[in-house]
Amino acid sequence: MSNETYASSTRIFKELLDEIGKVIVGQHEAVEQMMIAILCNSHALVESNPGLAKTLTISTISKALDLKFNRIQCTPDLMPSDITGTYIIEDIGGKKQFRFEPGPVFANIVLADEINRASPKTQSALLEAMQEKQVTVGNKTYPLDKPFFILATQNPIEMEGTYPLPEAQLDRFLLKILMDYPTFEDENEIVNRYTRNIIPTVKSVVSKTEVLELQKLTRDVPIAEDIKTRAIKIVGATRGKSEKIEYGASPRASIGLILAAKARALMKGRNYVSKEDIDAMAYPVLRHRVILTFESERKGMTTDQVIADILKTAK
Amino acid sequence: MDELMEKILKLQSDYFKRKQLLLILDLISIFSIFYAIFIILSAGFFLDKFFNDPRIPTGIILPIIAFIIAIMGAFFLHRNDRKIKFNFLVEGKYPELKEKLRTAYDNISESNVIVDSLKSLVLNGLAIVSSSTLIQGSVVVTKIILVIIFISAATIISLNPDKYSIPPDTVANNFKNLTGIGNENTNLSIGDINSRLENTENVGQNGSGNIFGKPKIASIEGKNIDLTLYSGQDTGFEVRDTSQASNQFIKSAAFPVDVLGSNVSDGGYSTLMQKTESEKQLINQYAVKRSTI
Repeated sequence: MSNETYASSTRIFKELLDEIGKVIVGQHEAVEQMMIAILCNSHALVESNPGLAKTLTISTISKALDLKFNRIQCTPDLMPSDITGTYIIEDIGGKKQFRFEPGPVFANIVLADEINRASPKTQSALLEAMQEKQVTVGNKTYPLDKPFFILATQNPIEMEGTYPLPEAQLDRFLLKILMDYPTFEDENEIVNRYTRNIIPTVKSVVSKTEVLELQKLTRDVPIAEDIKTRAIKIVGATRGKSEKIEYGASPRASIGLILAAKARALMKGRNYVSKEDIDAMAYPVLRHRVILTFESERKGMTTDQVIADILKTAK
Repeated sequence: MDELMEKILKLQSDYFKRKQLLLILDLISIFSIFYAIFIILSAGFFLDKFFNDPRIPTGIILPIIAFIIAIMGAFFLHRNDRKIKFNFLVEGKYPELKEKLRTAYDNISESNVIVDSLKSLVLNGLAIVSSSTLIQGSVVVTKIILVIIFISAATIISLNPDKYSIPPDTVANNFKNLTGIGNENTNLSIGDINSRLENTENVGQNGSGNIFGKPKIASIEGKNIDLTLYSGQDTGFEVRDTSQASNQFIKSAAFPVDVLGSNVSDGGYSTLMQKTESEKQLINQYAVKRSTI
């Protein structure tokens, strides 16, 4: 099965991206990175201004992958049980029984919209599901369906009344994906597509089984020792005393960087990890794990600029 | 063993054999060059003078020194050979194998559908790789030609040393002119230097040495003048131990130098008297200057 999936992986990714491209105009990098997060069996955090098709992108991906998709709109009054599910009393044959009603987290792809608006308690419930791939309600544990992928979104503006995710929780997201405004040509195309009667739709091009196979294949992609060493050195360079960085990335970032590079290589149709994959994935893997010093922030530096400097000096 | 590993090891072995050949060629070249230089510069003569051990003939020492230099030089030139990462070298020459070869090599023990496909890809890519492309044949040929030239030259020179070697005196003078070491002895041969050096042991005993243990020659208007002051009986000069108390020092009555000689000296004084007025004056100044020290 792996052989067949691998042989057709290049075709699968091409068809997948073409299909998603029918609905999503531009945002190739963001779509690619979301796919990488899914292939790594991990989660992603998306940050963008409102109206940049975050929800549409992830729902389109789920349709193209033939996966169950749920959306949670996070608000300060959202309770953990609203996400995980709860026991309800049901009348069955005249007897009242408790029955577990699964929450929206019981899906393959979950969009946690504006996660920073949910209370820390609710965020924790969601993060347990992310990490353990299971939900505990009462004293019973329910495993989540595979594949399981959470795409959480954050709005960089309107920070009032939000609960910013603590660093430890941010670390659990494999990637932090930035979505930028489209170019003029892309926006023109968006306007053309979405101002007609026919709204573009996608069809499923990959089965759930194939997605799981692709996740296994991702881990099989080989990496050379020197490239692996470079990846670890890049992550290590974020640590220690620095004028620019207050706190660096954890070893989880090293795992994430190599895994993400493997997924990217697979998506690009390569049977080995290239230095280029490491460099490309260093930004989404590290940008939410690196905390800049006050001095750097005062100078208007971004984490991406600091990562770019690290990549320049990394050997 | 894995087919890919076998292929890589074979290529690696061929490559390092060629590198060893180049090392040997360099060693021979350096040896030939230095051996020829030693003969041309009459190194054997100098070696005899300074290293006069009858147990070891010069004829053996010179080639040994040249060989030691050759070993050091060859290993210096090839010092980075062992540090060469073969896979990176191949990747550099064959860009289509870039990152693939090292990945396949590093994951040689792995086996899954992706690694196997990579190994197969690399194995096909290595089919066109040969050690001759990694070290160009022209480099080897050039080095062989150079070795032949250097060996021939060294052989010719060593068979006719009288024809090609530079006389030791010329070498010594040129060396001194170049380095500035021992300029005061420029008109002396090596033999002279040695005899004078030997005489310093007899200073003040039989009058044959000079008082300071070193010959003094001044060059005045292109003419070398021997400033040596010989000691001995009735010469007007007395060698004194510098440790003697200063209040015991009495100025020699021999000044000025135009006093008549007693003709009983060992020849030093009469030699002095035969000198020209300007030379006498110079010697006088020198003696006065020395006497005040």
